[in-house]
Amino acid sequence: MAQGIRDKAVILGMGCTRFGERWDMSSDMLMAEAFDEALADAGISRDQIGAAWLGSALDDVNVGNSAIPLATALRLPPMPVTRVENMCATGTEALRAATYAVASGAVDIALALGVEKLKDTGFGGLPIRTKGSVNDLWMPYGSAPGTFAQLAGAYAARHGIDAGDLKRAMAHVSWKSHQNGVHADKAHLRKAVTMETILNAPMVADPLGLYDCCGVSDGAAAAIICTPEIARSLSKDALVSVKSVQVCASNGWEMQYGEWDGSYVRNTRIAAGRAYDEAGITPADLGLTEVHDCFSITELVTMEDLGLSQDGRAVFDVLDGAFDAGGRLPSQIDGGLKCFGHPVGASGLRMAYEVYTQLKGRAGARQLANIDFGLTHNLGGQPSNSVAAVSVLGRLE
Amino acid sequence: MANRSIQSTGAYLPLLRFERKAARAELSWAGLGGNGKGRRTVAGWDEDALTQAVEAAREALAPAQGPVARVVFASTSAAFSDRSQSVLLSEALNLPRDAETVDLANCRRSAVSALLRALRGPEGVELIAAGEKRATQPGSAANLSWGDGAGAVVVGDGPGIARLRGAGRVNLDLLDSYTSVARGLPYAAEERFTRDVMLSEALIPAAKAALAEAGLRAEDVALAVVPEPVSGLYAAAARKLGLSAPNVIDRLAPEAGELGTAAPLFGLALALEQAEPGQIVLLVGCGNGCDVLLLEVTTKTHNRPAHQALDEGVPLTSYSRLLSLTGGIDLDWGPRAEVNQKVSASVLARHGREMHGFVGGRDQGGNVQFPKTPMPVNPGLDEAGAYQDVILRDEPARVVSITADRLNFTPDPPFHFGLVQFENGARVVMEHCDVEGGAQQVGAPLRMRFRIKAIDRQRQFRSYFWKAAPLARPQLAAKE
Repeated sequence: MAQGIRDKAVILGMGCTRFGERWDMSSDMLMAEAFDEALADAGISRDQIGAAWLGSALDDVNVGNSAIPLATALRLPPMPVTRVENMCATGTEALRAATYAVASGAVDIALALGVEKLKDTGFGGLPIRTKGSVNDLWMPYGSAPGTFAQLAGAYAARHGIDAGDLKRAMAHVSWKSHQNGVHADKAHLRKAVTMETILNAPMVADPLGLYDCCGVSDGAAAAIICTPEIARSLSKDALVSVKSVQVCASNGWEMQYGEWDGSYVRNTRIAAGRAYDEAGITPADLGLTEVHDCFSITELVTMEDLGLSQDGRAVFDVLDGAFDAGGRLPSQIDGGLKCFGHPVGASGLRMAYEVYTQLKGRAGARQLANIDFGLTHNLGGQPSNSVAAVSVLGRLE
Repeated sequence: MANRSIQSTGAYLPLLRFERKAARAELSWAGLGGNGKGRRTVAGWDEDALTQAVEAAREALAPAQGPVARVVFASTSAAFSDRSQSVLLSEALNLPRDAETVDLANCRRSAVSALLRALRGPEGVELIAAGEKRATQPGSAANLSWGDGAGAVVVGDGPGIARLRGAGRVNLDLLDSYTSVARGLPYAAEERFTRDVMLSEALIPAAKAALAEAGLRAEDVALAVVPEPVSGLYAAAARKLGLSAPNVIDRLAPEAGELGTAAPLFGLALALEQAEPGQIVLLVGCGNGCDVLLLEVTTKTHNRPAHQALDEGVPLTSYSRLLSLTGGIDLDWGPRAEVNQKVSASVLARHGREMHGFVGGRDQGGNVQFPKTPMPVNPGLDEAGAYQDVILRDEPARVVSITADRLNFTPDPPFHFGLVQFENGARVVMEHCDVEGGAQQVGAPLRMRFRIKAIDRQRQFRSYFWKAAPLARPQLAAKE
């Protein structure tokens, strides 16, 4: 079995822009804003970086193809600069690439930066994407809420959950995140919202109402990764280590083969199991999670897929407040995608930024006590054809 | 000719039935809106003359037939003037690739002319399918009196359900209604003129010729199928000819509307479902003249698609939705509708037949999948292999997951889609159609319908694929 990357790379510095409708900012400006913070946090100069990865998912409304826009925006010295794209797991893919580069010994210091400029599309929601010239002949164009909404009916059918109970639990997921988002100064949406408002919002895709859906925002986030030795040589203490990063992509089994019942996400389960193993922890060791709450039902089902609730019990755990700020395992303590919105290429690194901030004890009003490990989770595509990414960050012993 | 006979019929109507009283209420200020009586069928945004003809043809081909040697598609409203609809229909129904294919256009009686030719024609199974989805102008009589629908008939050798006894024909450039390519909308003559001249110059002489050839008298006719471009045509003809047979088309006008090229075949299906062996059916096609066929029923058919098509449906009471679905208004669907849906000719050449025919594959381990892929999805197989073709259109299926998506663009929201599980093991993510009044539930049974997949609005191209519809349609309430 592979050794894995646990503790072979640490986070030297991170940066994250304010997420939101950044009408005054283009992608290059967002990249610079996130990078400047990360560089200052790391306490290095840009010419110490040996390689960089750009996460950018939607080339038509963002920076365009290749990683040249990153090199140009940051005026990076000549170095390998690569763009990665894996739908909503894009930001975590950039982190994975930078971490692997450092862990392998190929690079001393690496940059991972994710950015997305969604609000130049001119309309709400994500852009409509072709599914490829052949798939377009038969595959329906569903919206993101449309694809994730289908988890709800299948989940309820499998576990015999009452539709009203499920709707209330989904609303609680969003209510909790809005409560948390009030204390996140870089979040897009920072207002608390009542359960009544959430439950009575207009329907987007049955049974997802408006408040079951995350925001759509612009934003960027960055991480500078290095070896523990280099971090120590720079007199850094309380180091945050990358314990694991795991990705799992569908091979068509869910969508084409008749076994999956649509009520869970297999890729999350596989990636999570491998991430716990690589990190050498169990779910009980986690102090917080930042999961892919693109939609309330996604977060709810993810609690089971990550092993944080028993199968069929997430509805009741959510309603009992298990994942609230004061619960047994706070989820989305910064408000999550719900309040930050989801600039696709940036989200994975934004989650890592929150876990890093918490582990560094810099989270201010939303600071959690006694945490050693935090988990990030992304889910790209749709439940029936997805890419899941799970990473564990923790203190370097 | 002696051995040729009608083997089976098919009929199809779209789900929605527009209540004409809604138009009358909406247009009362203008003095338009007709008499407000009855309903007209309204095709879905993703239906056209071809898709409806495919559905009627499916019904007609359901009884076992030999290989189809000739395929005729007839319509005055085909979406393409240079893309063979009979070839597409053949692909949709997986008919032999070397079948003779014929597209008929420009005349509402062309399907009846084709039927006569088939009954007098060479050996072999011949499918004739007619469909209509005609553009009409809001406020016009045709907008409310015409309907969308399809009919089909299969002609073959040996005994069938009906045989030809005689026929008559008169060709006449009578402009009861015409549609020019440049205008694209029908223009109608005065009804009284149409009724008088069509009767005296075309229908009566053609009917007399048919009776003479058949050696039959008017009173021998048990059932009539006489589509009426204007009301009262059959009643006047019956008086002059001495016919006492009921006209089965009398049900169509108030319940579905005038179906153009499809009307005679739809009516023939209705008549043959009602008729007893030995009875004579008078079949008329009108349009720039008349074709009149006298058919003798030879076997009782128990197939009831035409009755079912009339009895099942969902009332539509929104006049603006009618206009949107029939092209009378072009609503602004916003930037999400701007997605580029161009279809590449080379992609279609590689994959079109399997898409149109809904052809999946059974892998060497026995699992069925759609579409075929270089490596089978079956986890039990670990190398590329050959597939045996499996057609999915008639395979029982059910809902695995589904939603009603209100964000995604569709010309008739919401957009229903989800995972569909076929009984033979195939699983396909599909758009749903014909869903009215709330999304389907997990586990609900489905049937497949041939529909427009996407319309490339920039180039006015359309692609076709199959969609999942609820297995059963609701019964319409009885006529008011």
